[in-house]
Amino acid sequence: MIPPRFHGVALAAGSAAGAVALAILGLWCAGFAPLAVITTWCAGAFGNGTRIALSLQEAGPLLLTGLATALAFRCGVLNVGGEGQFLAGAALFTAAALVLPVVGFALPLALGLGAAAGAAWAAIAAGLARWRGVPVVLSTILLNIIAVAVLGALVEGPLRDPATTAPQSALVADVFHLPVLVAGTRLHLGIVLAFVLAGVVWLVHERTSLGFEAKVIGLNPAAALRVGMPVAARQMQLLVASGAIAGLAGAAQVAGVTHFLSAATTSYGYAGIVVALLGRLHPVGIAAAALFMGLLDTGGRACEKQLGVPHELGDVVKGVMVLGVLIAAAWAARRSAAAHQGPADG
Amino acid sequence: MAELVSGVAQSALTAAVPLLLAGTGELVAERAGVLNIGLEGLILAGCIGGFAGAVLGGTAGGLWLGVGGAVVAGMLVAGIFAVAVVYARVDQIVAGMAVNLLAFGAAGTIWHALQDAGRDSLPSGAGFDRIALGGPIVFDQYGLGWLALALVAVTGWMLAKTRAGLVLRALGEAPEACAVAGIDVLRWRFAAVLACGALAGLAGAYLSIMRTHSFAPDMSGGLGFLVLALVIFGRWRIGGLVVGCLGFGLIDAVQQQLQGAGAAGAVSYRLFQALPYLAALFALAVFRGRGNGPAQLGRPWPEER
Repeated sequence: MIPPRFHGVALAAGSAAGAVALAILGLWCAGFAPLAVITTWCAGAFGNGTRIALSLQEAGPLLLTGLATALAFRCGVLNVGGEGQFLAGAALFTAAALVLPVVGFALPLALGLGAAAGAAWAAIAAGLARWRGVPVVLSTILLNIIAVAVLGALVEGPLRDPATTAPQSALVADVFHLPVLVAGTRLHLGIVLAFVLAGVVWLVHERTSLGFEAKVIGLNPAAALRVGMPVAARQMQLLVASGAIAGLAGAAQVAGVTHFLSAATTSYGYAGIVVALLGRLHPVGIAAAALFMGLLDTGGRACEKQLGVPHELGDVVKGVMVLGVLIAAAWAARRSAAAHQGPADG
Repeated sequence: MAELVSGVAQSALTAAVPLLLAGTGELVAERAGVLNIGLEGLILAGCIGGFAGAVLGGTAGGLWLGVGGAVVAGMLVAGIFAVAVVYARVDQIVAGMAVNLLAFGAAGTIWHALQDAGRDSLPSGAGFDRIALGGPIVFDQYGLGWLALALVAVTGWMLAKTRAGLVLRALGEAPEACAVAGIDVLRWRFAAVLACGALAGLAGAYLSIMRTHSFAPDMSGGLGFLVLALVIFGRWRIGGLVVGCLGFGLIDAVQQQLQGAGAAGAVSYRLFQALPYLAALFALAVFRGRGNGPAQLGRPWPEER
């Protein structure tokens, strides 16, 4: 059988496979030949170097927003505001890139400002939770909706490119572009930074007292309080840190991929929740989940273009995947608890 | 001036109806102890279910198939959520977010299919318009609007005065005691979530086939999350909920007037649209007291040891 430490992997992989199988079955019923869907998807997701680079390009922001979500979730803070924090980061990065002088350190400075904007957007929720008792899950969602509106107002107003009528900003100068790794794609340095950050998060989780405290607080806040851990303060700090990572993701997306800001939102923030849960809140799992989701999206786009498969089906797959992994995990946890407890014990 | 007031009152009531429907559903689920963050997804399921039903029903049966389709769609998605949180005892908030995503994807896929089939407009003359009663204009409302008010009243009475209401309220406070009294806690909670799905589905039908006569993949637009805030704001009571919904309907009506009155030239209409959500955040920060919610809200039963 599967060794216990790989149970989480098995659960996630099983759910992903089940969701994909369900989608293919559904498409079969709708008249799409399963083999054609599978081959088109594979060719689109990793058929050649360019497609692999495109999938990785897609995985980058997902890895960052997934890490951001997990950082907060792990200590029991339900930050579902990655979307708003992502947009805040993208907006302030673009604004900074449009006004800052073109000097050597301008790119890191602008990226830092993007992260700070994400942190600040999360800090609103942190403050409301700490001092007014507003549930983070609600405030962060409401802040997402407000962020979308503010973004729209910005690209129609102060940040709008005077040269076009479309609601979008001007292109940022070349100095503010993250270097491209694979010619012909926009796979940029950000993916490397994202993996490095995943490593840092792993180190913090596994090797520092802060990571240990976060874990205890997430598992049992009452016990953490009793042994003297600063529960509320830690939770708020991690919420702000989570916002900073999501903000960085938004800034890196403008710096590396779009090079301008538009009112069209991409929901990388919401997708980050899926990545975090599918990755079981573990940095390695999150990296794997982000790569899988990148492949799923890029292959899905190829299926849409060549076969006419609706791309919205990708969201159904994600939803089924998450529900599958949640239900399977709850069931497995209960089964192992029952096994440890033994039969006929109350 | 009287005309303006009357017009604002009319659009305030029109805007309050979907909040009231979804809010009453959420209240039933939350009083039974189930926090349903997937409400947004249930509303969207109702939007597409209602739209698809209305299109299939044509002029003759569009109204009934539309309303029926919305209720079925809402209950179907609610059923998936209920299996996950009531029986599998998955974390309710996380499962709710997954349900939102699922409903968003499914609604988009169905809408895509409807468009491909060239069936993306409602049949005309099927009773989707406001009904003119001849009195003051505030009473000219959509048919579902009146049904909504009736359902709110019936639910309020049911929660306060009937045995079923007592059981529902007890489920949120002391499920253990309910179980001892011979009540099937899981089945009751399942039913409460399904009722929430039916009411949220009606809210969705109201948005798509009545208020806008169209569908858009993002048409629920955060309404479900606004309702979650309103239930807290109303302190889990039907009276408080009604006050909150009417208040937010009024905010929405006023922001529409401001948009129309040319204030939009100076400030983007997008900021006006965000006004109710900003107000909800404010309301939560200012009015939220502690210890008003059902004691077992969000907790699975039986609890793990």
